[in-house]
Amino acid sequence: MSNYDNAELLALWLEEKLTASQRDSFEQRCVEDSQFAQQVEAASMFKMQAQEYQSTDVPNWNKEKIFDYGVTSSVWSWLPGASFVTSVLAIVLVLTGTQVNITDGELRIRFGAQQSEQVVVKMLDSRLEEFRQTQQAALSLYAQTLQQQQLDSASQLTNYLLTSSRQERREDFAELIKFVNQQRSDDQLFYARQLNQLQQDIYRDADGVAVESVQQ
Amino acid sequence: MFEKSDEQLIKKAQKGHKKSWMSLLKRYEKPIYHYGLRMTGNNEDALDLLQEVFISVFRNLSSYRGEGSFKGWLFRIAHYRCIEFYRRKRPTQGLDDAPEIPSDAAPAEQHIEHTQRNAQLISAMQQLPLAQKSVVELKFFGHFTFEEIAQQTGMSVNTAKSRLYGALVKLKTLMEVDYVEL
Repeated sequence: MSNYDNAELLALWLEEKLTASQRDSFEQRCVEDSQFAQQVEAASMFKMQAQEYQSTDVPNWNKEKIFDYGVTSSVWSWLPGASFVTSVLAIVLVLTGTQVNITDGELRIRFGAQQSEQVVVKMLDSRLEEFRQTQQAALSLYAQTLQQQQLDSASQLTNYLLTSSRQERREDFAELIKFVNQQRSDDQLFYARQLNQLQQDIYRDADGVAVESVQQ
Repeated sequence: MFEKSDEQLIKKAQKGHKKSWMSLLKRYEKPIYHYGLRMTGNNEDALDLLQEVFISVFRNLSSYRGEGSFKGWLFRIAHYRCIEFYRRKRPTQGLDDAPEIPSDAAPAEQHIEHTQRNAQLISAMQQLPLAQKSVVELKFFGHFTFEEIAQQTGMSVNTAKSRLYGALVKLKTLMEVDYVEL
């Protein structure tokens, strides 16, 4: 049995490229394999029919249109070229790590990915330092505000205490003075009564002596 | 009469020489039209395909470097245009799938004055999947070698051979049925 498969043998036969040994295999296969023989017959029949195929004329169609279309479209013929150039430019920009920066109306073009990495690290450091400083300033401001707030609170408390104790003292003194005045008023009344009593006693005594003397 | 070679006509056409382009077109319009007719089974579709193929050829003429024959290059374009055409028409159908509609050959039979054999052959071909049909077309009508077919269709030589073998199994049955019906 030969090594050639049916498709291979049929293909070689169709192209008339069978060698002597292949031809032997082919003929043997045609005898032994009825299915293969039928395939060969079909190929032969189809080949014959293809040869007998009558190529009719092409119906009328607008052939001129294609040339005109092509000429019109040639206005855009620069497009593939431009596309190629821009692609190459893009590749070069990517490979060289080109960076374009516009800051404050200033255009900067940088080449080299490594350099850009350093720039990024530097930028990151500066940003971190800036952030640290901002945080520190905010913290100190907060501490200062807190301190100030504490001082204000203490001062307010002291003022309140002083004011309230002063008021209380004033009220106490007023009460005391009122009490002393009342005492003095009571005393004066008492002494006035005493004096009246004494006066009455004296007058009574004097009247008694006089009566006695008169009587005597 | 002295006839200019394809290469001479191409060179002139590349420079915008209309007459050369028209000569080239007339030389190959018939094979391409009949290629389209056998591949689509329909006169209108064949004419559309013919136009698409030559538009594509004209567009790409500047990139033709003369590597291989012009005929091979032309049929390679025709093959890809034909695949695009099928994808547009039947987007869900694979290249190896059998056609959903058994035959589209009826319009060809109606509109073109073919011989009965032509119609029978076109009808039978329409029932093959596109992948097999293109190999049969290029082998029996384009007379290309399997290497050339492989190059044009982007498949391996062995695949081309086995596809032809598979197609012949079906064609034999179809042609026999058609013969009995006749």
